[in-house]
Amino acid sequence: MITLLEIFQTTFDEFMQAAWQTVQLTFWSLLLATAIGLFFAFCRLSGNPVLKGMALLYIAIIRGTPLIVQIVTLYFGLAEFVVLDSFTAGVIALAVHAGAYIAEIFRGAIQSIENGQMEAARSLGMSYWLAMRRIILPQAFRRSIPALGNQFIIGLKDSSLVAYIGGTELWASGLGAAADNFRQFPTYLVNGLYYLALILIFTFMLRWLEKRLNVEQRSVRA
Amino acid sequence: MIQLKAVSKWYGQLQVLKEIDLQVNEGEVVVLIGASGSGKSTLLRCMNFLEQSDSGEIYLFGEKVDPKESDLNWIRQEVGMVFQHFHLFPHKNVLENIMEAPVYVKKKKKKEAKEMAWKLLCKVGLEDKANVYPGSLSGGQKQRVAIARALAMEPKAMLFDEPTSALDPELVGEVLSVMKELAKEGMTMVIVTHEMGFAREVADQVVFLDEGRIVETGTPEKIFEHPSEERTSQFLSQVLG
Repeated sequence: MITLLEIFQTTFDEFMQAAWQTVQLTFWSLLLATAIGLFFAFCRLSGNPVLKGMALLYIAIIRGTPLIVQIVTLYFGLAEFVVLDSFTAGVIALAVHAGAYIAEIFRGAIQSIENGQMEAARSLGMSYWLAMRRIILPQAFRRSIPALGNQFIIGLKDSSLVAYIGGTELWASGLGAAADNFRQFPTYLVNGLYYLALILIFTFMLRWLEKRLNVEQRSVRA
Repeated sequence: MIQLKAVSKWYGQLQVLKEIDLQVNEGEVVVLIGASGSGKSTLLRCMNFLEQSDSGEIYLFGEKVDPKESDLNWIRQEVGMVFQHFHLFPHKNVLENIMEAPVYVKKKKKKEAKEMAWKLLCKVGLEDKANVYPGSLSGGQKQRVAIARALAMEPKAMLFDEPTSALDPELVGEVLSVMKELAKEGMTMVIVTHEMGFAREVADQVVFLDEGRIVETGTPEKIFEHPSEERTSQFLSQVLG
């Protein structure tokens, strides 16, 4: 216990900074992943065989290979053309990865909205995209929040793999600290607690958001 | 106002509409009756192109509509539709449901759209429900909001697809009375319904469909009192008991 406290104190500054890196890495990658996911969800739903094929291929490749392979491949692959710092490369790799899963989440949510909603919107003279934006997506987004939150939690933990392309996020600094103090077990344990804390905070925020977005629908059923 | 010439439609091998000719004049109330599967809903949905016919011609307001060329979004603004299952937007309150299309399709000012929405809500007797969400309304109230929502686009004609079929029996009357009111104001209406009493009361023209074909057309008196086709009297005796 004393060792743990001691480790906690000696690593505090470093881990806090690294945790902030992790938060930033996660935030930007998931923001980008959401945009990528939305784009590929529409591609998958599209009647255009090229767009649909492209989305299916993307999803198959991402889901079919390990994230660590994707991160390292992308980092060294991109290095052929542009030199990216590990943070930027990490954001891109994590976003491309999570985007495939988020695409499926959005596709499912959009398809779960009954067809009558689109028909009613079209019958009022709305174009397909206006109906999508004003009527279908707001409902689909609400419906996708539990699955999306799950994916975001996975994304936060996945960001630890950026350590292997020279990132300076939480896990990288855990590895570094343990290499310095030779006390792997307590150092990794403390490092893990930071992840746990971050995810608990995030889960709490998610629950709040879900409640907020459901306010109308709940109040009306009373 | 709405004219169909030899309209046919197939679902795969099954021909659901067979050479339909139909004319709906301005201010007229046309009621489509027939057994389920007779094609009456499909026919109605062809009139605002939610379904596209495979052959034949459709004229709206005197002009031939070619769904590939004409702007269907514009046509649908002129022909309102009310569905069996209402399809109100659950994430918007009653007032927002009605304002949505005027504001985002017709680009009306919010204030203007709101005033009109209020008027329409009064018309359907739901001004006290303006700020609630559809989830808390009864079926009859939902359908009245749906009618107001369609009217907010100031359509030249209204299509009703079995507007009371999903309602509890005690709620049918409130919807029908709103529709009667509309008919009295001279709205051009095409209605698919199983409410024969209502059809007899408001229809100018009753159209009986069977297996995708128009069997008989005429005034309510003719169809209900003196049907000339065997199939019509059979159907009527079944539904009227």
